[in-house]
Amino acid sequence: MGITITGVTKKFGAYPAVKDINLEIPTGDFVALLGPSGSGKTTLLRLIAGLEGLDTGSIIFNGVDFSFKNVKERKVGFVFQHYALFKHMTIFENVAFGLKVRPRKLRPSRSEIKDKVLELLRLVQLEHLADRYPSQLSGGQRQRIALARALAVEPEVLLLDEPFGALDAKVRQELRHWLREIHRKLNITTVFVTHDQEEALEMADTVVVMNHGKIEQIGSPAEVYERPANAFVYSFLGRVNEFRGAALYNDVAIARDSAVEAVGYIRPHEIGLSRFSNGVGIPAEASHVNAVGSTVRVVLKRLDTEDYFEAELTSGNFRELGPFHKGDILYADFTNIVVFEAITDSEHSKEREKVTVGAFSAFT
Amino acid sequence: MIAREHVHLKSPGASRFALAPIKKWLLIGTALGFLGIFILIPLIAVFTEALKKGIELYFAAITEPDALSAIKLTLITAAIAVPLNTIFGVIAAWGIAKFNFKGKNILITLIDIPFAVSPVIAGLVFVLLYGSNGVLGPFIEANNLKIIFSVPGIVLATTFVTFPFVVRELIPIMQEQGTEEEQAAITLGASGWQMFFRVTLPNIKWGLLYGVILCNARAMGEFGAVSVVSGHIRGLTNTLPLHVEILYNEYNFTASFAVASLLALLALLTLVFKSFLEWKTKK
Amino acid sequence: MVKQSKRRRVLPGFGLSMGYTVIYLSLIVLIPIAVLFLKATTISLAEFWETITDERVVASYKLTFYTSFVAAMVNVLFGTLIAWVLVRYDFVGKRFVDALVDLPFALPTAVAGIALTAIYAPNGWIGQYFEAAGVKIAYTQYGIMIALTFIGLPFVVRSVQPVLQELDQQYEEAAATLGANSAQIFFKIIFPAIFPAVLTGFGLAFARALGEYGSVVFISGNMPMKTEIVPLLIITKLEQYNYGGAAAIAAVMLVISFLLLFLINFWQWRTARKHQVT
Repeated sequence: MGITITGVTKKFGAYPAVKDINLEIPTGDFVALLGPSGSGKTTLLRLIAGLEGLDTGSIIFNGVDFSFKNVKERKVGFVFQHYALFKHMTIFENVAFGLKVRPRKLRPSRSEIKDKVLELLRLVQLEHLADRYPSQLSGGQRQRIALARALAVEPEVLLLDEPFGALDAKVRQELRHWLREIHRKLNITTVFVTHDQEEALEMADTVVVMNHGKIEQIGSPAEVYERPANAFVYSFLGRVNEFRGAALYNDVAIARDSAVEAVGYIRPHEIGLSRFSNGVGIPAEASHVNAVGSTVRVVLKRLDTEDYFEAELTSGNFRELGPFHKGDILYADFTNIVVFEAITDSEHSKEREKVTVGAFSAFT
Repeated sequence: MIAREHVHLKSPGASRFALAPIKKWLLIGTALGFLGIFILIPLIAVFTEALKKGIELYFAAITEPDALSAIKLTLITAAIAVPLNTIFGVIAAWGIAKFNFKGKNILITLIDIPFAVSPVIAGLVFVLLYGSNGVLGPFIEANNLKIIFSVPGIVLATTFVTFPFVVRELIPIMQEQGTEEEQAAITLGASGWQMFFRVTLPNIKWGLLYGVILCNARAMGEFGAVSVVSGHIRGLTNTLPLHVEILYNEYNFTASFAVASLLALLALLTLVFKSFLEWKTKK
Repeated sequence: MVKQSKRRRVLPGFGLSMGYTVIYLSLIVLIPIAVLFLKATTISLAEFWETITDERVVASYKLTFYTSFVAAMVNVLFGTLIAWVLVRYDFVGKRFVDALVDLPFALPTAVAGIALTAIYAPNGWIGQYFEAAGVKIAYTQYGIMIALTFIGLPFVVRSVQPVLQELDQQYEEAAATLGANSAQIFFKIIFPAIFPAVLTGFGLAFARALGEYGSVVFISGNMPMKTEIVPLLIITKLEQYNYGGAAAIAAVMLVISFLLLFLINFWQWRTARKHQVT
């Protein structure tokens, strides 16, 4: 089922959670709503589900206006962040719930319900847990049951709120493949919310990047990663070095007297490092070298502005370069730098700063 | 445990731990002594005094007609007041715990009022409202109704006094459970009642029972409020606690304690049930 | 208002719940209470003032506040100790003792009243020893204090107990490794943490004691000017068909009770919010 969202706004008190959202989701698409916390992505998901009422705009499902229809009429499957499994029911009863609460005329017979539930449990590979209670399951198993329960009502849209947020890294990795696989099999229009850019880029057909209640960019993972629409999208999708002021003007030739402040971003792996200056490189001193695994991460200090930045190279390139150590001087090539207009809105720049600082602190 | 001991031994104040067992038993001894004198002895006294003059007199005291009618009235009162407050408790807790709205704290404080009001004043307000000199007195007399010095007054006063028990028990439980399970039920197509009976109620059943038990104990044992509105008419408007008072004031101590022992048994039963529910919910 | 109606709530029943709550609350609690204040205004201001400043009435206010305060303080001391013992130590019969703490909640006050009187009467189990030492308990202020201590004890224990349970022993261990002695640990680490709960317990026990009737009326002896508590005085006025007077005395007590209730609830929200932030 296709979803058309037009001019949707939602306020909580005076706080605008989403502002004038326009989004077209084609049938069968697998969409990630990606953004930092407070970006409005969960609110948008809940608006689609009908779990929140919208202030303005419309939400149209396959040409039918659903803006003011209640949750029940929308035929959406919703997987809650903390799963919201019914604690006092067994796994079987949880999955069967949506079928058992149907009005008598539409309710399948007992044996039909049983077949359907077992089929779903097979789909999520947890048939053997039918008689357990949610408290006896691991986080990953609960997640799969929550999905099976949502699928039991044969929804035309599947909505997942931070589906893997509460799981550890290994389980998360497994479930990503598994969820893609389910989507391939059932081909239900699926929208999920995440703050993890890796998860969004790896799983989704379409990534919707959100910030401060607005959509920053919509596109395929490749599009948003390769051609970010603005500074926020660039800095949010992966690790970045940020240069502004003197550092930036040393790297690229742009008019200094430009009315708007410029800011430059470059991803660690896009920085070229060499032993010798070849005219373009900026001299920098290696202050920390981490050569574990297939990539080598280096923190360097620019000698011209004393700013720190992070570079990343493959272990092959590292060997080619001749292994260097802390204190060695290298020349960094910033030709791949991308320059954006700095966002003047103080709130925005604060948010962005947090993102870049985060990228570094994860490293150092 | 081992790690903890380790820290203690290493701590600069290690020497004081030689004293710890003595201190510990001193504290336990004081606490138990206090509880023994203030709580256990009164409880034992009730049963000892009740059985002082033999088991026959005991049974005679609790099976005489006035005692039986007091038992009956107490049961009737609880059978009306407790369900009323239970229904109210569930409905009010639903709105208060699951929704956000302005004035919530004020509403909770208003619900708490009966906890803060003296039972005597609780009785007094109904006398002032429904008594022959009361605000509604003329209307009540004109329609040949009787509320004060009659069963309806006793039920009203009891309902007032036990008003907050169930709702106050449910609000924190429902708040803690949040609304996700209910929302899940709605997205799965459940109607409001289906959601309530299949998801909400099973989740609060032990807490609800807990509140009902406490509400019932208070309803059956209420003295001050009921005393003011009852008129102490033997065999007609005497509840068990009032019957205890009448017998006591007639210096019929053994009979008074015999009837009191019934109420003490009810209290013990309440405590046993309460402990059971606490154990059950902790599990 | 248009906006309001658009803001649909997902979970059903809010309107029904609030409607029922407000109506039932009004019928059972608010309207009757309002009538009391209304009745108190039917007498003239001078009469009102005369009633509540009458020597006998003032004496009963004083007595009620004094004995309630003493009882609540005793409960703070022993209630905190009992909570501590129940949380921190293991001993045989702990479950039984824990359940017993709630007895004053569950035992009808009249039963407590006659039992305490029997024990503390001059010929009672405990009273006889005090009698021999020349001290009277039943039918004096001390008897009232004992009854009020009995009914107030669970409030303090049940306020402090959960807070102590939550209190991570790591803080005490950290303090110990930093060189604090056990008195310092108690006053600098434990007491500040449980203080809000102790105060709440005190407030609840005190408020309950102010209005208590059943357990006190048997043991107090009910002598005007000496051992006559406010609730009893209200009943006395009522038995004299002095409705205005009863309402006046009750109105004063109610205002004080409400103030206490607001203070306690406000205090609890404040501490709850403080805990949420950290």
